Amino acid sequence: MRIIVLVGRVLDPSGIVVNRRRGRIFINREEYLVNPADRCALEAALRIKDATGAEVVALPRGPLPDDDVLRQALAAGADRAVYLTGDGFKGADDAVMARVLAAAVERLGGADLVLAGATTLDTRQGQLGPRLAEALGWPQIVGAWQVEATDGKVQAVLQAPTPRVGGDRVLAPGRRWGKTPPPRVGGDRHQPWSPLPPPPPPRVGGDRGGGYATVETDLPAVVTVLPGALKPRYPDGARLINIYRAEDAVERWDVADLVEADALKPLLERRGQDFPPERERGVRVSGTPEEMAQAVADALRQQVRG
Amino acid sequence: MDASYLDLLMAQQEEVTEAAGGGGGIWVVADVVNGTVAPVTLEALGAARTLADALGAYVYGVLLGEDVTDGSTELTTSLAQTLYQAGADGVRVADHPSLAQFALEPYLKVLSDLVEAEQPEVVIFGATAQGQELAPRLAQRTGGGLIEHVTAASLDETTRTVQATFPIYGGEYFEIAACSEARPQFLTVEPGAFPAPFLDPYRKGEPTTLDVEPVEPAVRVLGPAEGFEPPPVPLAQASMIVAAGRQAGGGSAELAEAFEMVKQLAAALGGQVAGDRGARDAGWIGPGQIVDVRGVTVAPQVYVAVGIRGDTFHNAAIEGAKFIVAIHPDPDAPIFQVADLCLEADPQEVLPALLEALS
Amino acid sequence: MDFTFAPEHVALRRLVREFAENEVAPLAMEIDREGRVPFETLRKMAKIGLLGVCFPQKYGGMGAGETGYCILMEELGRVCTSTATNVGAHIGIGAMSVYLDGTEEQKQKYLMPLARGEKLAAFVLTEADAGSDAAAIRTCAVQDGNEWVLNGTKTFNTNGSFADIVTVMAVTDPTLGARGGMTAFIVEAGTPGFKVGTHENKMGIRGSSTAELIFEDVRVPHENVLGKVGEGFISFMKTLDVGRLTLGAACLGGAQAALEASVHWAKTRKQFGVALAHKQSVQWMIANMATEIEALRSLVYRVAWMVDTGQPFTQLAAMCKLYGSEVASRAIDVALQIHGGLGYTRDFPIERNFRDARISEIFEGTNEIQRIVIASNIFRQHGVRIRP
Repeated sequence: MRIIVLVGRVLDPSGIVVNRRRGRIFINREEYLVNPADRCALEAALRIKDATGAEVVALPRGPLPDDDVLRQALAAGADRAVYLTGDGFKGADDAVMARVLAAAVERLGGADLVLAGATTLDTRQGQLGPRLAEALGWPQIVGAWQVEATDGKVQAVLQAPTPRVGGDRVLAPGRRWGKTPPPRVGGDRHQPWSPLPPPPPPRVGGDRGGGYATVETDLPAVVTVLPGALKPRYPDGARLINIYRAEDAVERWDVADLVEADALKPLLERRGQDFPPERERGVRVSGTPEEMAQAVADALRQQVRG
Repeated sequence: MDASYLDLLMAQQEEVTEAAGGGGGIWVVADVVNGTVAPVTLEALGAARTLADALGAYVYGVLLGEDVTDGSTELTTSLAQTLYQAGADGVRVADHPSLAQFALEPYLKVLSDLVEAEQPEVVIFGATAQGQELAPRLAQRTGGGLIEHVTAASLDETTRTVQATFPIYGGEYFEIAACSEARPQFLTVEPGAFPAPFLDPYRKGEPTTLDVEPVEPAVRVLGPAEGFEPPPVPLAQASMIVAAGRQAGGGSAELAEAFEMVKQLAAALGGQVAGDRGARDAGWIGPGQIVDVRGVTVAPQVYVAVGIRGDTFHNAAIEGAKFIVAIHPDPDAPIFQVADLCLEADPQEVLPALLEALS
Repeated sequence: MDFTFAPEHVALRRLVREFAENEVAPLAMEIDREGRVPFETLRKMAKIGLLGVCFPQKYGGMGAGETGYCILMEELGRVCTSTATNVGAHIGIGAMSVYLDGTEEQKQKYLMPLARGEKLAAFVLTEADAGSDAAAIRTCAVQDGNEWVLNGTKTFNTNGSFADIVTVMAVTDPTLGARGGMTAFIVEAGTPGFKVGTHENKMGIRGSSTAELIFEDVRVPHENVLGKVGEGFISFMKTLDVGRLTLGAACLGGAQAALEASVHWAKTRKQFGVALAHKQSVQWMIANMATEIEALRSLVYRVAWMVDTGQPFTQLAAMCKLYGSEVASRAIDVALQIHGGLGYTRDFPIERNFRDARISEIFEGTNEIQRIVIASNIFRQHGVRIRP
C-alpha cells in the first residue's frame, strides 16, 4: 500500500506581533513550524505503516522555499519525499496544487491513500484535501480524529455533523473596520415589528452533542486529519542526523514535467490585510443584573461560535 | 388603534416572481439543522442580498433534503419559504430520500448539475461540516476559486469580484482575497460573522423543484465510535476558561452553590473550570487548576473571571487571553485593569441571569 | 570561519527542544519535590536515540558528535538540571569511559546497549577521603587467577544506584599511586557483593540519584579491565575532560533559562507605575547576564568543534566548566533578585534552579581544580611544571 502525506509549513505565530493601531505585522522571530494538522496526518500514516508495512511518501502542500519540512517528514519515518520546484510555481494556491499533486500522484505510479491536515494553522483553509480528492476522482473523509486502513478500506472516527467541526475559535467581526470601509455586506437592516420570532441566536459554546461516529470508504481515498487528533512521534535521532547529512535525501521534481504552464496560474489573488480594532480594556457594563448578563452573553456570542 | 387593515394590504404585496433564467446570480446553499434552516444560511442570504443589490443580480437559495418542499402550517413556515423571507429571489429544491442526511456524492451531483445549468457568479456555503466538504469539491469540479471561513465581504464592482476577508491565526489579523477571473466564485461564511437578516414574513415565492438522480454515497457510516474519547486538552491550552475566585461565593453558606453556577457556566460555554488561590483554599479546584504564575499560565480565546480580585501573579498568568470578562463587586479590583469587559457586581446576582441569557 | 551550525545540528536542536518542552519540563518540579529519578523520561529518550547522541552509529549511537551532545545538554539544562545530570552521568562519563578506552569486544558488549539506552551507566571514582584528591582513593583490586576482587566504598555517586553498568576506579598497586597504580574496571549491576548504600539527601538536583556504592569482594573478570592495568587514572582523567565540556553546556542552558525568565518577568511586573524593564538597575543586570551567556555559548561550541575535529581541548574544557558554572550561578542569582519574593517561593521554578545551579561549581571537579588544570596547562606550555 502506498500512502501519500501532504506536509506544509506555517510561520510560528509566537514570533509575530500585530500592531492593530498602525495596521502592521512585525515578525520578531522568523521561525517555521510544520503545519500541526499535517504532523497529525503524518503520524496517522506512520501508524498505518507500522501496522501494515505501507510505503509513505511525503509531498509538499504548497510551494516551499526549501525542503526542510520534507526532511522532517523523512526523519519521522516517511520512506520518500519529493520537493517540487519550477518557474511560475511560487504563487500556487490550493486550486493549482490540487492539479499539480494529482499529476504527482500519477507520476509516482498511483497511491492508495492520501492523508493531509484538515486545516492550516495560519489561513485555516481546509480546501486542499477535498480539491485533491476531486482532481483524483476519489472519495473523501474530512476531519478525522483517527484513521485506520486495511484490506482495501479506510476507516475513520469523525465527529457527527454539527454546524462546526473541531478547530479554533475566531474573533467575530460582524462589522467592518479599517481606514476606508468598503460597502458593508449585511447592512444595517431596519427591523420593524414582526409576528414571527427572530431566528435563534447561535448557541454559545457549540453543540457538540453529535457524538463520534466511525465511517468507512473503499480505497483509494483522501482523508484529512484534525490538528491535535494524534500525538506526533519524535523522529529517531540517528535517522534525523543521516537525512540532514545526505544532500539528496529529498527528490526534486520540476512542476513543468507535471502540468502545463497555464495550469500554474493561481485563481485567488491577495488584496491586502485588515486588522481588528484595538483592544479596549476596562469597558464597564452597568445596569440591572439582567441587563449586564445580556451584555456579557452578547459579547461571548461574538467571541464563541455556536 | 386598529391597524389590522395594514395586514391585508401587506399580505397581497410580495409574491416574488423570478426573472427569466439567464444565468448568473448569487447562490446560497442552505444548511439544515434539526429541521430548520441553520442561522448561518440566513446570514449568508443577508450577505448575498447586499452583494446582489450592488451587482444588479438575483439571489437564489438551494435546499437539499427529504420532505422539504411542503410543510407549511400555521406556526411554522416551510424551509423554502424561510429562504424567500430572508431575501432569496428564487429557490431551488431537491427533495429526495437520498438527500435526507448530508452525503457528499448525492449533494455534489445535484449542485454540479445546477452550477452547469445556471452558471452562477457567486456560490456561498456556510462554513459547516457540509460546507467544508462540498465547497472545495464543487469548486474544483467547476474550476472556481474558493475562500473559506469568510468573516466579511465587499465588492469590487468593476470586475464583479467579491473581496472576502478571512481570519489569520485565529483572528490576529485578517487577509483579503479575491477570485478575479475564475467563475463561479465560491465562499464559505463563518457562522455568526454576518448579521442575521430581517425575515420578511410577507415575502413568499414558488420554489422550483429539481430532478434528482440518486447517487450512492461513497462513505458509509458504520455506527457510533464506541469508547472513543478525544485527547483531553490541558488547561494551559484550553480555548475557553471560566475561573472562580474567593468572591464567587458570598457568605460561607452559599459558597458551594456559587461554585456550582460557575461550573454550569463553564459547561454552557464549553470551557474548562479553573480558579485562583482562593478557590483552591476553598477546596473548589485542584492544584493543577490554579491560574497563577505559580500555577498554570493560560492563553484562552475567552477567560471569564468570576469573583477574582486579580493580583499581579494571577493577571500575569492570563496575559495571553484574547478576551477577558471580569465580575467582581469591588470597583477597585485590579482585574478590571486587564479585563475587556468589567462588571462591578456581585457574581451571585449576575451568574443566574447570565446562565439564563445563554440558554 | 563559519560559525553556523550544520543542518543536522539545527534539526537535532529542534528535536531536543521539543522533547525538552513537552516531556522533560512538565516533570521538573515534581521530580524535585519527590526526589525521584524520571525513568520514564530516560526511556523515551532512549527510544529516539538521545542516550547515545555522541557515539558513532556503528556502536548504536546517533553519530551527532560532541556538538550534538552539547546541544542535548544545553536544551536539557534549560528545563531541568536533574534530568541533565542523569543523562550527563550516563553518556558523558559512564558510557564515554568505555568508548574512549574500551576494546572492541568491550564496546560491542557494553557500549552498544548503553548507546541505545537499553542499559544505563555510571562512573564511579569519588570516595569519602578522595574528592578533589582523586589519587587518594583506597578501593582496592587484587588479582586472583583470571579475576580481580574489588573491595571498598564509594560516595557521592551519580546514577550508581540504578545503573546497569558502572566503571569503577580501584587501586591495583598502592606503591605506585596515580602513575601506574590504578586500574579501571567495568562492573555489571547484580554482581555479588556490589551493593548500593545510603542515598544522599541533597540541596538540589534532587531528581538525580546520589548514593554510596559498596564493593565487598566483588569479582570481576580480567576481560573487564578498562584500558591497561595500572593506567586507570589517566583514562579516567581523559573521560572527565570530555565530561567537563558538556557540563559547561548544561550550565549554558540553565543560564539561558534564567535570562528568559528574567526578561519575561521584567516586562510583566510593574512597580512604581512602570514595568521593571524600564529600571536601569534591572536593565544592567539583564545586559550583564546576556553578555556572559553569549561568551559562554561561543566558548562551549568552539570547544565542541575542537573535540569533533580531534584537536587538544583539555585546558579549554576546564575553562568551559569553570566559566559555565560561575555564569550559571551568577545568572540564577540575579534572576532570583529580579523575581523578588516570587522567586523565593517553592511554587515557582526559580528557587529550584537556584539550588540546582550551585552544584555545578562543585562536582565534576571543583572550580578550584579546574583553575589548577588551566594554570598547569598554561605554565607547561612555558616550560614550568607547577606544583599546586
